[in-house]
Parts: sequence; C-alpha cells; structure tokens
Amino acid sequence: MSQPDELEAFRARAREWLLANVPARPSFKLPQTFLEVEAREQLEWLRDWQRRLYDAGYLGFDVPEEYGGRGVDRERRRVVTEELVRARAPFLVNFIGLEWAGPTILTFGTEAQKRRMLPPLLRGDELWCQGFSEPAAGSDLASLQTRAVRQADGTYRVTGHKVWTTVAHFASWMILLARTDPAANKYAGISYFLFPMDATGVTVEPLLKMTGEGGFNQVLFDDAPSPADSLLGEEGQGWTIAMTTLTFERGAAETHARERAAALLAQLGRVVELAREREREGAPALADPVLADRIAQLWIECAAIGLSMARTRAPALNAERPFALPLMNKLVSSEWNQRLAELATELLGADAALWLDDPRAPHGGDWTRGYMNSFGMTIGGGTSEILRNVIGERVLGLPKGK
Amino acid sequence: MTALDLLALPDVGEEFSFSDEHELTRASARRFLAERCPTSEVRRLMDDPVGHDASTWRSMAELGWLGTTVPQPLGGAALDPLHLALLFEEQGRALLPSPFLACQLALSALELAATPEQAARWIPPILSGEQIATLAFEEPSGASRGAADTRAVPARGGWVLVGVRPHVLGAASAGLVIVPATEPDGGVGLFAVELPHPCVLVEAERSVDTTRRAARLVLEGASVPAAARLERSSRAVVERVEARGRTLLAAEMAGGIAAVLERTRAYACEREQFGRPIGAFQAVKHPIVDTMVSAELARSLALGAAVAWSREPARHDTLSRMAKAYASDAFAVAVRRGVQLHGGYGFTWDCDIQLWFKRAVASRALLGDALHHRRWLAAALGGA
Repeated sequence: MSQPDELEAFRARAREWLLANVPARPSFKLPQTFLEVEAREQLEWLRDWQRRLYDAGYLGFDVPEEYGGRGVDRERRRVVTEELVRARAPFLVNFIGLEWAGPTILTFGTEAQKRRMLPPLLRGDELWCQGFSEPAAGSDLASLQTRAVRQADGTYRVTGHKVWTTVAHFASWMILLARTDPAANKYAGISYFLFPMDATGVTVEPLLKMTGEGGFNQVLFDDAPSPADSLLGEEGQGWTIAMTTLTFERGAAETHARERAAALLAQLGRVVELAREREREGAPALADPVLADRIAQLWIECAAIGLSMARTRAPALNAERPFALPLMNKLVSSEWNQRLAELATELLGADAALWLDDPRAPHGGDWTRGYMNSFGMTIGGGTSEILRNVIGERVLGLPKGK
Repeated sequence: MTALDLLALPDVGEEFSFSDEHELTRASARRFLAERCPTSEVRRLMDDPVGHDASTWRSMAELGWLGTTVPQPLGGAALDPLHLALLFEEQGRALLPSPFLACQLALSALELAATPEQAARWIPPILSGEQIATLAFEEPSGASRGAADTRAVPARGGWVLVGVRPHVLGAASAGLVIVPATEPDGGVGLFAVELPHPCVLVEAERSVDTTRRAARLVLEGASVPAAARLERSSRAVVERVEARGRTLLAAEMAGGIAAVLERTRAYACEREQFGRPIGAFQAVKHPIVDTMVSAELARSLALGAAVAWSREPARHDTLSRMAKAYASDAFAVAVRRGVQLHGGYGFTWDCDIQLWFKRAVASRALLGDALHHRRWLAAALGGA
C-alpha cells in the first residue's frame, strides 16, 4: 500500500507521463470501446498504446510482479485510472484479458498458467476473448452444448459453436466453457479452458452489429485440439469459475468501484457540455426545462451510483443484503449509461440522424453510435432481465421461476 | 469551471466514514423500535389525540437521540450527523409517530442562529424531552421562496409577526416554534415563539398521514420580545437548516422504502397463485428488484448527504437536494408497487402497506419535491 505522499508523487508522475504520451487521434476512425475493434490498424494502434502504458509502469497494479504485474496496489491502480479518465486516454484493447480472464487466471490458475499467461496479457501482446454464449445458450448459459472430449494423452478435442465473441478475430486465447461430462447435471458437466485460438479446426466468422461495425464474431470448433494444461481448475469446476469471471465482468469486484464512478461522471460531464453547446428554440439546450430536468435526474442517479460504490467498502452498512450492491452495479450503470446516451441523441435534434460518414455529423456521429452501442452493455455479461432474476433470487430470496 | 468540476461527488471517505459506533447506533435503534413501535403501536397512535407516545419520546430523550449532533456545551452528544441519519432511517423504517423531525429542525435553527444565552434557554428543555419544538419553514412551492409570506415588523422594543404557515410539523404539541420571517430590510430573521401565544392560532391539520401530525400556524400580529430574535439569523442559516432537514427526511424515507420492500418481498414469497408463490413470476419479481435497487440508491444518497453535512459542507446542500429528490420519487414508486403487488389485500385498511403509502404522500413535497430540487440542480449546472 502506498503512503499518501508517495501516492501523490506517483499521481504527478502519471499525469506528466500521460500528458506527454497520450497519442493524438489517428487518421482512421477509432472504435468507442473494446467491443467494436474491427480493423487491424485499429488493433495495432490500440495495442501500441497498451504496450507503452505497460512498459512505462502504469499497468498491472492488480497482478504480483512474478506474473509480470507491478505488485498489487489498489491505490495506484485507482490513481492511474483516474488519470487515464482525466487525460482522455484511449481505452485498453485487451480489456477482456485485463478485467475478466486475468483475474480469473490469477484466482484459479496453476503457477505455470499464471507465469505463462499473465505477462503477455498485461502487455497486450496476446489478446483474450471469451467463449461463453452459444446460439442456444444465452441467458440460460448453463445449457451450453460445446463439447470438450478428453483424449488418451490427456489433451482435449473441442466441437461446438460460440457467438457474440468480441475480438475473437484478433485473440490469441479464449476463456472457453465446454461440456466435458454430458452425463452430469448441466452445471457439473462444464469445464473451463484457456483455449489457444490458433488451434486447427477453429473458424472465426465476423458478425455485423446494428451500427454496421464489426468487433464480434461467431467461432466454430470442429474437433479442435486443446492441450492438457489448457484446463483451468478441475474438470467439472467450470461453472463455479465462470461465475467468478461473471462477477468480474459485472463489476461486482469492489476494487474498481471508485474508478468506475469517475468514468460515469466523466460521461455525464460530456453530455452536460453537449447540452450547453447545442441550441434548442434559440437557446442552449440546457436552458430547456424538460431536458434540464432529465439531466438533473441523471446527475442524481450518477451520484447515487458513485456513493453506492463507496458504500460497498463499508461491509457493516450492507450487512442485511451483502450482495445487493455488488450485484446491482452492472444493471444500474449500464441502464443509466443507456439513458444518458439516448438523451445525448435527443439533444442533437435532427442532427442525431447524421451518421458516421456525414461530415456534418456532430462529433463524428459518436453520440448516436454510442447510444446503439450502449445495448452491448445491457445485454452482454448477463442481460438486465437475467440480472433482475439473479438479484431477486440470490439477494431477495424470491422463488425461482420453475 | 468545467462540467466535470461542477459534477464532482463529495469525498465521503474510503469506507463511508462508517465505524463500529455507527453500527452500534443503528443496531440499538433497530432493537428499540422493534420493541416500542411495532405496527400495532403505529396504528394505536394514529387514533391518539396527541399522535405520539409520551413514554417512548422520553426514552428517546434519555437515549440521547434528540441531541445526537448538538454540541456538547449545549448538552448534546456532538456525534457526527451520520449517526442521526441512521436513527432517522430506522425510525422511518418503523414509521415511528413522533415529533423527531420537527425537533431536529428547531434544534438546527437554534444551534446555528442562537446566542449562547438563547441556546441555554431553549435547547436543554428540548433535549430532555420536556419541550417539543418545531420550525415553521416555508414550503418551496416554486412560486415563493424564503420567508416571503411571513413578515416581522419591529414594534414596542420587540417584533410583531404576521403570516400563515401551513404544514408545521408537530406544532399542535409544540411549546416552541421557530418562525423564519422577512424583516423590513429584506433579510430573514428567525424568531423563537413560545406557545401557546394569544395571537398565534394553531389549527391542527387533518392529514392523510396521521402518523406525523402537522398544523397550520396563523400569526395574527403576534408580539414577541426583542430577545426572541435569534441573533445570528440569516438566509444562509435557513438554507443550512433546510439542507439538514432534507438529509434527515431523505434518510427516513429511505428507511420507509426498505420497509415497503421487505413487506412486499415477504408477501410475494408467501402468497400463492397458479400453484406457486407469486414472487416466482417475473412480472412480480422484477418490480420488487427495482424497488430494492431504488432503496439502495436512496440510502446511499441520504447517508452520503449526512457524511457531507460535516465533512464537505460546501457540497452538503447539493447532495441533500439530490437525496430528497431521489427519495421522494423512489418512495412514491415503492408504495405504489407495494399496494399493487399485495393485490386485493393491498387495497385494504388491514394491510400495513397503506401506512407507508400515506407517509410517502405526505413526505413527498415536504422540504421540496423532486421537481423543485431538480430544477435547482439544473440551474447549478447552468441550465433552466
């Protein structure tokens, strides 16, 4: 843990470094988030940024040094994230690796897996994707049908079909859920693999989003080999491990709460600026009482979410329902973000319809694109509807639907 | 100033400044209220002429609840306001009928505006529970602000007060009312008016919410001595008192939402239709989850406002408005869902949800409704 003085000195260094090193925007269009990386040039530009951030010593504060990290230091991690938001730095392209796969490997991996996987993950040299959803297993994830059959030599052969697989087209590795025991019940039959995407028998087919962007895919496995040491944890432990990954994915891990709050606030700040800059009836849109009321409501909710994240760190304040705040985090933030993004498009008036390729599109059409892309967050990682079931059943003890 | 600076959240501390002592406050309040104020007691007091139980009130005074945040030289415990907010949350959960909020408003006004002599005269009898006090604050209706409707005119070495104040909490049982009034120079004076007073008419209101009594105060040229004017009165003091009141009321309402949630949740687990508990149906389950989410968010805002009250006074006003605005709407939605999800039973007098429903109606606009505060917040951002 850093001392306060040290931490402020670290913040000053980080701020200075970012000022000097945050790259100017490239000539080509950048994706808004890690979910929409479709072109090689986008990937390389973003990967280069992650490498430089890592090499400069600002990435890896939740990973011990022996696995390529900077040693676990929550305070420094928070400072870096706050400064990244402040500097409007590009996002980190290996988001799935850093936020979902990495922490899961750190929790369940063998020593060899941690040493092999984590350093290139942190530096962005190897990207990660997530193979959980299938065409017939979305919200009902445990009904997944992809099979992994153990061979005599201890390796596995994978056959099946995964969908909505973000960055599969650039990924070196996939965190993969596959059924190893078809006879066991649907939860107990699942295992968790660190699967090499360059295996034979793997076909990655791009899918097009409603924005016209790529970035996600379907992945077909036809008797694709996976080494013996690709199994994470034990056979049959996959569901438990997957729930841990989903906990990271849904932001339930409280360590990142404060930086998430800073990010929400930054988004709101941009919409407030937009409302000052756009005109309505000959006055700034912010002067419209109806729009102003909605912005005020979003501000209130943003404060409520931020304060809830702070409250998460006082366990005694949550003793009655300890999982309420962690589990509602993703639900509330993603729905808030969607309403904010929709409001931004309303602030644009008729210009909201101008798309990315129109030179007059306000801010390059990013607001409308952002609104559409906000559905990635209310659907991915557990839809809002599924999360309401999970909260209702696990937190409130309401009976299951069947 | 950039939008981001304006929007910044108060620093509530790494762990919400929450300690074991806070937990003790909360837990002991929960126990006390479970014993002294079950809903049968709430219902008994709804028909009581005074509207609160004298022995419970005395116990609250003995436990030191009334002087929680009052400075020690004035006889209080000088605890931080998070303690007081936790007490309000618990009494809102139990729906305790009492003049607790009324007294805290009066105490705040006295603490912030009275001289030591004035404080020594009026505060101790309030803390001991002998004297019920209240504040005749102006309801912000949007059209009128401050103390515009009540005037103070200097006369015969004192003041004469003229005006009408509806919805004064606890006024019918109060021995002291603090009246904010506009003075000839346009400033606001806070006047300590001892009741009964020959020229102050106290007309008890017949409220839908009989768990919290209020009265209409008619000041028909009421003379008060010069010493009744709290010397450090100002508009800023009135605003701080209101911010504190909003914080406590928001905490109380958050407790109310939690109580409605718990009852609705329990009913959905127990009531069966189509061969299963109705809580198994998503049309019932999801609205209950939404109530839980709003209960948690309301709680975070209210307790956050309580922390800002002492730690970040510059942001307390803003946060208290957010907390009140959010609680007003969330409580209204929670009781609406609560009645609906109880079905036919929810519509009956017997079902306890109606008690919180009525409290939500009566509290919604008290100290400003959601629209009022959002309008203020929008203006702070530079909007309408």
